[in-house]
Amino acid sequence: MLSPDAVQKFISIVGPERCKTAREDLLTYAYDAYVHEFLPDAVLLPQSTQEVVAIMKLASAGNIFVTPRGAGSGLGSGSLAKKGGIVLSFSGMNRILEINTANRYAVVEPGVVIAEFQRAVEKLNLFYPPDPGSANVATMGGAVVMNAGGMRGVKYGVTRDYVLGLEVVLPSGEVMKTGTVTAKDVTGYDLTRLICGSEGTLALVTKVIVRLLPKPKTKRTLQAIYNNLDDAGNTVARIIEAGIIPATLELMDQTIIKALEDFAHLGLPLDAAAVLLIDVDGEPETVEKQAAVVAEFCKNQGARDVRVSQSEKENEQLWVARRAAFGAIARVRPTCIIEDATVPVSLLASAIKKILEVGERNRVQIAVLAHAGDGNLHPFFLCDQRDKEEMARVERAMDDLVDYAMSVGGTLSGEHGIGIAKAKYLPRQLSETSLRMMRAIKKTFDPQGILNPGSFLEHGL
Amino acid sequence: MISKELREEVYKCIKCGLCLTPCPVYNLLRFEGASPRGRVQLIKKSLEGKTELSENFQRLLFTCLLCETCTANCPSGLKTDRLMKTMRSEIQERLGPDWPKGMLGNLLRDKRRLPFFLFCERTRENLFSSQKGKSDLPADSEFFRPGSKALRQQVPEVNPVPEVKGKVLYFTGCATNYFYPNVGKSVIKVLNRLGMEVILPRGQMCCGLPLFQAGGRKKALKNIRENLKLFNRKDVDAIVVDCAACGAALKKEYALLLEEMGEDANPAKELAGKVMDISQILARSDLGKWLKPVPQRVTYHDPCRLGRSQGVREEPRDLLRQIPGLELVEMAAAEECCGGGAALPWEHPEVASGISRKKIQSIKETRATVVASGCPWCRRQIGENLGPDPIRVMHPIEVIAEALRES
Repeated sequence: MLSPDAVQKFISIVGPERCKTAREDLLTYAYDAYVHEFLPDAVLLPQSTQEVVAIMKLASAGNIFVTPRGAGSGLGSGSLAKKGGIVLSFSGMNRILEINTANRYAVVEPGVVIAEFQRAVEKLNLFYPPDPGSANVATMGGAVVMNAGGMRGVKYGVTRDYVLGLEVVLPSGEVMKTGTVTAKDVTGYDLTRLICGSEGTLALVTKVIVRLLPKPKTKRTLQAIYNNLDDAGNTVARIIEAGIIPATLELMDQTIIKALEDFAHLGLPLDAAAVLLIDVDGEPETVEKQAAVVAEFCKNQGARDVRVSQSEKENEQLWVARRAAFGAIARVRPTCIIEDATVPVSLLASAIKKILEVGERNRVQIAVLAHAGDGNLHPFFLCDQRDKEEMARVERAMDDLVDYAMSVGGTLSGEHGIGIAKAKYLPRQLSETSLRMMRAIKKTFDPQGILNPGSFLEHGL
Repeated sequence: MISKELREEVYKCIKCGLCLTPCPVYNLLRFEGASPRGRVQLIKKSLEGKTELSENFQRLLFTCLLCETCTANCPSGLKTDRLMKTMRSEIQERLGPDWPKGMLGNLLRDKRRLPFFLFCERTRENLFSSQKGKSDLPADSEFFRPGSKALRQQVPEVNPVPEVKGKVLYFTGCATNYFYPNVGKSVIKVLNRLGMEVILPRGQMCCGLPLFQAGGRKKALKNIRENLKLFNRKDVDAIVVDCAACGAALKKEYALLLEEMGEDANPAKELAGKVMDISQILARSDLGKWLKPVPQRVTYHDPCRLGRSQGVREEPRDLLRQIPGLELVEMAAAEECCGGGAALPWEHPEVASGISRKKIQSIKETRATVVASGCPWCRRQIGENLGPDPIRVMHPIEVIAEALRES
């Protein structure tokens, strides 16, 4: 519990409106898009780096826990106050500070919503590729500390590939700048990329510098429709093997297709076993050619039909629907736990088979979505968290899936992070030496252990 | 009482957050309690008995435009607006209304009290110059200014035409009746020109929407029943409304409410099938030959109650396009709420006008000379936030009526 005195001091920094301690307000910061809830003692909504500095000086002096939060769209309780204390919400620091067209970079505050930033740079014919499914919700700061991936990973990589530099506030309240605005920089350790993906355990990001690309001139979206899930999986492996690099390569199975159609009414093929949603982008001539090659390729691999979108609007509608997949699946069951184990892409078809087998064995309904081009699986475990017995089966199914991913050289998490959702599996992938190094790094940044306590590194300690 | 279906509804929220950025209130205030996801969480906790109906709970629940943007955007199909409305009535039933809501109930359920109250409000303005602009009456309305009268006092109950091609009942609503009689006169003029007899049944009551949006469901039952009795007539072709809010009430809310309250919803469903927005009934007819050129730049704002509630988006635009020489320009995000929704302009004026700023900017960017909208509360909110700009705020039917040739 926070002392009334501490609350008073925080109010003196951000004012009473942006220091929330009423039970109703705390309840609305107790969740993210995962299933657990943790009630914070207070929520602070800073609007400047100076305020964050003042907050951290107070917090470190009083040993008060602080957990940073963007939009709360995470999938592993990463932004929740797992041990109480303060939730520091960056939703009010949402200005785009600079878009530099001459040197193709931008500087933003952490609370800027990713999709809003994308639209702003696209107006200037620039392009910010990292594109998590939650881009319409998630913030740039959240994407940085979680190293968010997303749908364009297969061609353009992930958030870490675009972060040039950061301004961060350390748990002590010191401000540190990392990186530069230049495309190359080998000055010292790469703290930028260390903080990127640190799940808010090392420092609080208050400014982000990202590099931008020229906007691809044109884009086509293809829907390859399959009667057989296996064929869809094999197509993906073959496309990658053949050296074709689409901008996105998404796979969805029948359950997902049905839920999306129910929401968006786009005429998706309800009788199909799977659909591959494929974007090709670039120069108009190349795109035309590539679209034809990909379509032909899919047909040869057993696609019963390939639809090519005819307009930008049609592209957009399909992707709006795809982005809604996580929410739309709640039409089937009230709780959805998304796994994101990732395997080498050549194993995609067998991995999907394995997932369905795991579901059957544990009597858990699983729908399959995948950023297929990256081998990044998103099995949706459909359940109802009020049913304890069912949740135990879900847990066992997760265990089985982790066993499988580890056995084929995959990873625990492709892009959602560890949080508390996968903390118990961490020693399966990381050696005692790696964990020791990571804990030492944490200790250097945050000797008091006040930043995002209860997160992945502390499991089993 | 909250129905079992709605109780289960809260568990459909998977907290994906897709309702956050489209929500006008969240976008302005940027804290979770101001978001649909946050409010659903609070309703869920309240239904589970884990939080009280505290003052803060009520404040968060009522800092909402009921614009239905969240419902339209929810991938899991959560009926967020139904939940909000039901919870609001739960609050009123358990705790009783606060005094403004109580007064609203007293005014809108009685045919004489409302005009009397409005008369007093305007008189206060008229008599004391220090009170000018301090009442809640729209500044641009002539109502109870010296020499003005309510619509239903100005026009007869039956407005016949020589050659009857159709017969409609006209539900005028309070806003048109008291504040904007010119809208009503325009409706009658245009329909008459098309050969339609227009009947304004005496004794019609407030549609009740302001009441049940504030949570006064039970109180609104009297209004609903009386209106259903008066307007469910077999001898007319349609029931016409010019007000987006009244239209949403008659077409949609009556039946839903009665169902949610366990009452017989059949009369409401029967009525709903015959209710038409003025733009819908006119979109079917060829008005072109009656219209003279009006070389104006006009932009159209979609009222939440017409676009999202009734799905009427194209008809008002088509109607305006029928005027020769008129240039219809789309504003950015025409469907976004203007800030005038529910009772927000009265309960949280600073939030409402904060939301209006974006709308006003979109309107100004079109360089239009007229902004048209089929909702009196939108017109009021836009009008009061436009500042000194000489843009005219009109109902589309007023634009049509002005373009009508003398016969």
